[in-house]
Amino acid sequence: MEYSAPVEAYTGIVRPMTIGKGAKAITIGGESILPFHFFDEGSSPNPPKFALEILDMEPYDWPDFLVEPYKDVISDPVKWAGRCEELGADAVCLLLKSTDPAEKDSPADQAASLTKKVAEALNIPVIVYGSGDDKKDAEVLPKVAEACDGEKLLIGPVLKENYAVVGKAILDHGHMAIAQTPMDINLLKELNVKLCHFFPAEKIVIDPLSPALGYGIEYTFSLMERIKQLGVISKDSMTQMPMIANFGGEVWKTKQAKESKEQGLLWEGMTAMCLLLAGANILVLRHPDNIKLVKETIGGEIWQK
Amino acid sequence: MIVIAEGIHVIAKTVNDAIKSRDKKPIQDLARAQAEAGADYIDLNVGFVRKDTEETMQWIVNTVQGVADLPLSIDTMNPVAMEAGLKACKKRPLLNSASGKTDSKEQMLPLAKKYDCDVVISCINDKGMPPEADSKLDSIMNTVAYANELGIPNEHIWCDPIVLPASTAGTGQDHALATYEFIKILPEALPDIKSTVGLSNISSGVPVELRPFLNRVYLVMMDRSGLYSSIHDVLDEDIMKLCRGERQNIVDLIYRTWDGENIDLSSLPQEEVNYVKTAKVLAGEVLYSDAWLEA
Repeated sequence: MEYSAPVEAYTGIVRPMTIGKGAKAITIGGESILPFHFFDEGSSPNPPKFALEILDMEPYDWPDFLVEPYKDVISDPVKWAGRCEELGADAVCLLLKSTDPAEKDSPADQAASLTKKVAEALNIPVIVYGSGDDKKDAEVLPKVAEACDGEKLLIGPVLKENYAVVGKAILDHGHMAIAQTPMDINLLKELNVKLCHFFPAEKIVIDPLSPALGYGIEYTFSLMERIKQLGVISKDSMTQMPMIANFGGEVWKTKQAKESKEQGLLWEGMTAMCLLLAGANILVLRHPDNIKLVKETIGGEIWQK
Repeated sequence: MIVIAEGIHVIAKTVNDAIKSRDKKPIQDLARAQAEAGADYIDLNVGFVRKDTEETMQWIVNTVQGVADLPLSIDTMNPVAMEAGLKACKKRPLLNSASGKTDSKEQMLPLAKKYDCDVVISCINDKGMPPEADSKLDSIMNTVAYANELGIPNEHIWCDPIVLPASTAGTGQDHALATYEFIKILPEALPDIKSTVGLSNISSGVPVELRPFLNRVYLVMMDRSGLYSSIHDVLDEDIMKLCRGERQNIVDLIYRTWDGENIDLSSLPQEEVNYVKTAKVLAGEVLYSDAWLEA
């Protein structure tokens, strides 16, 4: 008996999104198949993108082998960002950690001018994350958006507590938003619905939170899987956004990753692979070696079919 | 549809305080309003009643019977409180509830026989709560067989598949459908059996002003699947109108949505739009979020 494998053809498409202006631009999303289901009808025209994370302050809890590739530039975020570009990053993710009231509580203006310098110095796009303190972010992120008017940055986290203020600033200055909710499909949808009352769905990236391997990754795995299925199979308009997996910070705070270079690299690399399989469209890593490692693992040509 | 009024519940502070201070008025006001609203039974959810069990049960039952000429649903997990409550009832009561848990089967079901009353049997068993329609049915068939052996006939048994909140991420909507399926397949498996649900649990955890939409639509759907009885908020006028068949246009709209018709929302008034959107959520067609009416 001859066997022919079933071929699915879905009608939902993840909204494609371009980040960065002009020649810097990269595009994520746009797929009409489930992750790595290249055997089905439809396509995944934009392979996943890899951002390297930098901080706006010198990190104090990174293991030496993680600092090593950036050692000579790590005290200068602009140079550090440049190093990430040289090392092959598709984008730089600037975490405004120093603005956190629990860190240095540094002022919004300082964060805004630094972000502008970083964005102007690079030939790749910039992702900006506030500290996650919803009140402080409501001051910082609008300033960042304004200072970088028209740069088409990807800015977050936009939270249920501050989406009105932060979302408006992102929209007014021509950027894209990262809508973040704590690992819950219903809350995620609710935030997207509310944001979309004034914000175009085409400019939203979903961040469901991404814990590291061994620290609850299975929750995010099934959540991302579900988001992608709802978008591609069920055509739920509020889940048809690209997804960001921002786990560099989560991985490198684990004792397993800090133990040795080899183990740390694998810990981050395996976390990346898991979340790619779940459907992440853009990843934020910390170690540059993993860009090459993960890109080789997922292949290049297959994405171009 | 037999309607059992919810609301006399120890979780409600007014009810709890009234029981503690033996103040009849708040409870009687509520019971009177429920009777006027068209309840067929009044549910007395008295909790475990650890203190002065028998005296407290007599007081509550008599307090309600003093103003409402309706049969009561005695709702407690405590077999001693249950017996005291059943004993005090003037009209043939409903024992609410027994389950497939060993303790419950052995302690509650004999009371239903002894007092010749109808009994609610839920699908919970020693292993917990079966998630799918089939496993719910397996569980309840075992408990019903046990009840039959004690001499309780099927027509005295009201099966409760246990409604869970639709808003529970990941499982809530599937479970709402499983419960619907259960009600549909029940009569074939257990002829002459009755059914009931704690309806309001479908909207537990949902913003309070939005809860009635889920309750009403779920009731219409469950009614269509052949549900015999429902425990719900009888003071919600709209839900009672739906129960009495007074809002056939809404019922039709919910049925059409449920049957997959693509209804043009732009031509409908806001209230009807809300019912269509709610029906889509409960049909599992649209992912739930607290903002389901805004999307």
